[in-house]
Amino acid sequence: MGRSYDVVVIGGGIIGLSIAYQLVKRQKKVIVIEKNEIGSGASGACDDMILLQSKKPGISLEMAMESLDMYKTLSDELGIDIEYENHGGMILIENQRHLNVMEEYIEQQRKYGLTVEIIDKKAVYRKQPHVRQGVLASTYSPTDAQVNPLRVMRGYLSRGTALGLEVRKGVHISEINQKSSGWMVSFKDGTYIESEYIVNAAGAWAAEIGRMVDIQIPIRPKKGQVVITEQIPKLGDTNVWSAEYIVAKLKPELANEKNEVFKHLGVGFALSQASCGNYIIGSTREEAGFDKKTNPEALQLIVKQAVQFFPILSKVHFIRSFAGFRPATEDGKAILGGVENRDGFFIAAGHEGDGIALAPITGKLMADCIEGKQINYNMEELKLERFRQEEVECAFA
Amino acid sequence: MNDEILCRCEEITEGQIREAIRQGATTVNEIKRWTRSGMGLCQGRTCRRLMERILSEEMGIPLKEITPATFRQPVRPIRMGIFSEIEDRDE
Ligand SMILES: Cc1cc2nc3c(=O)[nH]c(=O)nc-3n(C[C@H](O)[C@H](O)[C@H](O)COP(=O)(O)OP(=O)(O)OC[C@H]3O[C@@H](n4cnc5c(N)ncnc54)[C@H](O)[C@@H]3O)c2cc1C
Repeated sequence: MGRSYDVVVIGGGIIGLSIAYQLVKRQKKVIVIEKNEIGSGASGACDDMILLQSKKPGISLEMAMESLDMYKTLSDELGIDIEYENHGGMILIENQRHLNVMEEYIEQQRKYGLTVEIIDKKAVYRKQPHVRQGVLASTYSPTDAQVNPLRVMRGYLSRGTALGLEVRKGVHISEINQKSSGWMVSFKDGTYIESEYIVNAAGAWAAEIGRMVDIQIPIRPKKGQVVITEQIPKLGDTNVWSAEYIVAKLKPELANEKNEVFKHLGVGFALSQASCGNYIIGSTREEAGFDKKTNPEALQLIVKQAVQFFPILSKVHFIRSFAGFRPATEDGKAILGGVENRDGFFIAAGHEGDGIALAPITGKLMADCIEGKQINYNMEELKLERFRQEEVECAFA
Repeated sequence: MNDEILCRCEEITEGQIREAIRQGATTVNEIKRWTRSGMGLCQGRTCRRLMERILSEEMGIPLKEITPATFRQPVRPIRMGIFSEIEDRDE
């Protein structure tokens, strides 16, 4: 006889754990199914930033703002220091064309209530005394913050477990079947469990779970390689990254200044300091399937770019590198909510480079969805069915 | 709690590692993620063995069934000026 649950959450990353935690808090009987280890996906191989400035004005920015508020009290709630810090953020602007794009962009963000401004060269060097000469200007938002995703996951897990959350790790799902009421998840070892609801929070692997219930989920892995330095004193007031990446997202035609290898690997510059003093330097955005290896070519470009922006870094050692898979959709927004014709099957995946920032709000919204509560966001924008309407319908016919 | 330092780079005690295991860590990688043990300058050259031993003890499974932690490049720290082939001009 298989055990039965209210909700089975597939995926033990930050998203799955946040959802599971919110649900046990509401007295649901929940189990998290993780095929490897907790945090073995993107959530254990990423930067630590809660960037509001990188969010497109619209639902993503609104969700990120609410999520940030939830993070502020999460250490107390979970009884563990999640290393939440708020140092603000700067996007370094290197030329006039980028400046024009960024001015337009922050204007829209301000309409959504984000505090952000363009600061001039002088102010840039005051906040970042080590940045290279020749930076034209920068954005500055005091709101950007950071957390340690590993601590957040540990907190969700330990607090969740104390509230009755169950976890199965290292198990392989063989089949998922819809029953007259609810769902049955079977494992390769011959065991199975039953539940009223399933949440697919398998990150970059969400499509694989989708196929088990005959739905197409357009999420693919976007690989990011990252470099970690030894612990050093603070280089500047805020975390920084370069306008290049945001400009590339908004106006791709302006982004062809760098060489081919650079573009192919999608190298963008992001620099943040973890609370223990190590700098995290990112990162690439590659279409490379599920190949988890880091390669010297990419790491060298990342390091080179960092040393070019902050020459003093040439004296610092890097001690570690790793790669993770951002779960990416075509429009850059996550897929959150139920699925037509699959009663009780929910998707919460596809947060790409924003999953850490959006984890708390995602947990809350998904628990609200499952409980059928009124939600203040336009969830239509995040539905699976927004993609390739016709194809999805044919597949169901 | 046993406060003997087990990971010297990150100053993580044996007690902290046992606590992480009691809070649900079941592999060396999870202990690393939870506590930072083995994530410092030496990248766990000595403490990873100790973590494996404690894990096997706490979970009551033989040492040889413990999956070793993943190694991450580079194996030794590298100065970034050298690695990037850019040296600081004022050197
Ligand atoms: C280099 C890099 C830098 C980043 N920087 C930031 C940042 O600064 N700020 C930010 O907000 N976000 C950042 N991100 C993005 C963030 O890491 C992700 O959006 C987030 O971790 C996604 O969480 P997740 O839980 O959906 O996925 P994951 O953490 O990948 O979790 C999915 C889990 O599902 C499991 N799984 C898969 N298939 C199955 C199956 N069949 N059965 C059971 N379990 C399964 C996997 O093993 C995995 O543990 C970054 C990502 C990368 C790669």
